[in-house]
Amino acid sequence: MTIFLQLVASGVAVGMIYAAIAFGYQLTFATSKTLNFGQGEALALGALFGLTLAPFTGYWLMIPLVLVFGFALGAVVERLAVRPAIKIKSEYGWIMATIALGIIFRNLAENIWGRDDLKFPSPLPDAAVEMGGIRVLPMEMLIVAGALLMMLCVEIFNRKSIWGKAVVATSNDIDAAGLMGINTKRIITLSYSISAMTAAFAGVLVAPVTLTGATMGAVLALKAFAVAIIGGLESGLGVIVGGLILGVAETLTGFYISTGYKDVPGLILLLVVLSIRPVGLFGKAVIKKV
Amino acid sequence: MILTKRALMGALLGATALGLVPAQAADPIKIGLTGPYTGGSSSMGVSMRDGAKLAAAEINKNGGVLGRPIQLIERDDEAKNEVGAQVAQELINKEKVVATVGFINTGVALAAQRFYQEAEIPVFNNVATGTVITNQFKEPDYDVNYVFRNSAYDVLQAGMMVDEALAQNFKKIAILADSTNYGQLGREDIEKYLATKGVKPVAVEKFNIKDVDMTAQLLKSQQAGADVILAYGIGPELAQVANGMAKLGWKVPIIASWPASMQSFIDIAGTNGNGVIMPQTFIEDKTLAKRASFLDDYYKTYGVTKIPTPVAGAQGYDSVYLIAAAIKQAGSTNGPKIREALENLNTKVEGVVTTYDHPFTAKDHNAISRNMVVFGKVQDGKIVYAKPEDAKNAGVVRVKEKSSN
Repeated sequence: MTIFLQLVASGVAVGMIYAAIAFGYQLTFATSKTLNFGQGEALALGALFGLTLAPFTGYWLMIPLVLVFGFALGAVVERLAVRPAIKIKSEYGWIMATIALGIIFRNLAENIWGRDDLKFPSPLPDAAVEMGGIRVLPMEMLIVAGALLMMLCVEIFNRKSIWGKAVVATSNDIDAAGLMGINTKRIITLSYSISAMTAAFAGVLVAPVTLTGATMGAVLALKAFAVAIIGGLESGLGVIVGGLILGVAETLTGFYISTGYKDVPGLILLLVVLSIRPVGLFGKAVIKKV
Repeated sequence: MILTKRALMGALLGATALGLVPAQAADPIKIGLTGPYTGGSSSMGVSMRDGAKLAAAEINKNGGVLGRPIQLIERDDEAKNEVGAQVAQELINKEKVVATVGFINTGVALAAQRFYQEAEIPVFNNVATGTVITNQFKEPDYDVNYVFRNSAYDVLQAGMMVDEALAQNFKKIAILADSTNYGQLGREDIEKYLATKGVKPVAVEKFNIKDVDMTAQLLKSQQAGADVILAYGIGPELAQVANGMAKLGWKVPIIASWPASMQSFIDIAGTNGNGVIMPQTFIEDKTLAKRASFLDDYYKTYGVTKIPTPVAGAQGYDSVYLIAAAIKQAGSTNGPKIREALENLNTKVEGVVTTYDHPFTAKDHNAISRNMVVFGKVQDGKIVYAKPEDAKNAGVVRVKEKSSN
């Protein structure tokens, strides 16, 4: 039993890493029906930026600066890659453009920070804590708490602030929101900024556990994308549940079936969800009238 | 026109022979230098490249080879098989190299070296360890083999790792290997060697590059009662294995493949990496004059206090000296002649790993034999000799055993 719980605990930690990254996909998709495929690079840039700042400011003080950095980064991505595509009503232009921008960011990061995987100093002790026979790293608990806190903050922002309400309105019906006098272009930029901000924050959050480097986001962002599809691209709750499902499925399969097949159940789940419920477990089914 | 060109060449050759013209004025001898200088295995690639460049600079300072300077043509293969194949064709057809040294990744070596074999140009693996590399063009399918190597190949390393585990009286062995060509070929070698010893591993587990969590692999090994872990992978993931064990509070020794000496392992594993041992051909110590001057030069030239991956740096350095010696002996830059010279090197070549005395024969293209490899141990951020007797004998050059490969 303790083994099962240990596997679940580790799976939850990994799952929350995926969820924290997947959350960013959901934010931009809601407002503009577009995604930033450079989300993994935003994560890496955030982590590397934080790594550079940490010696001067310490871990906790570095976080607000990373948030500002992520916010600006998102705006740049939206202006350069997404807005031109939306303007000419290109359905797919933003896909290539965000991927291209991601590659540019990665190469930039490789030139600045080098190609090696680096160690990110952990703000909490490295020794694991034992709770009822299962062992967790303090950093893993921080990831779970930090990711939930981040999502909570974004939710509160959306529900309570005037800007947030504009974001929600734009998500519901972009044309109606525009007619009501909401500057939807600006709202889309804002959603990209918040999305990249969450990615940058996720970067410094997970970096002490994962490896830090220009390519750290490659695998994580792909898994997070699967999580966003499973959970539903328009649902904040969906990405949490999707992340936990995928993370726990990976560790359980690794132990009870084979570590060689660790990634298989997640992908099967992805296929099943796509064929039975294409909008994801928590997505809203929309009927598109032609 | 042809006549004048010839006359000029003749005059130049005569002049060089007489030592009238400084070596730099002569046409350089082009040698390809290929490895991953970007991406996850770049710390090995860059160390190898920097070591090779030091050797070339030294040779050129002393007058070059055949009166001509050596020019290294650097190309980044990005650890990608297809890029490696492309680089090989470019070096052969466009740059017209007379030989190539390099290759960190087994997959890249296998994809690229057939172009050298076809072009009859020697290709020298100085870091890649896949056992199959030097066997790709073996007799009887091929008359001659243009692939040489001065790194410790996998069968040799796997054997050492297993023997060490058994010598320390461990009975229950768990194998953890990454899912790349490198990891899986290494795992096969370990399993085969274990079978000859009549030992069955209690667990054989796999992990992917960039895996964040090793809980499942480690718990399975722990539940199987493993008392030692043989890990085959590269720096970052090996570090995650060490960190994962610390997290689970499980303490058994790790015997890893050689990349556990990478800087990334030392950095990421931190104190969790202390005590991990791995086969090494070279440890950073200054007991020999040659090694001391190599290390001082390396630190000074590149402004570092430690070679990122010492083994790769040392083997890269030696590989250029071996090729240079062969070109000198062949008296020409003709591929088949260089190969013949390599297979029958008359002069002893003093490198930093060892002094090479007839390192190759027509049948044996591996310069490193088992007696030349020692166990290194991670200790507080450095790789040191794992065994006191090796540390004591650090100043003794371990030369290749006859007919050992």
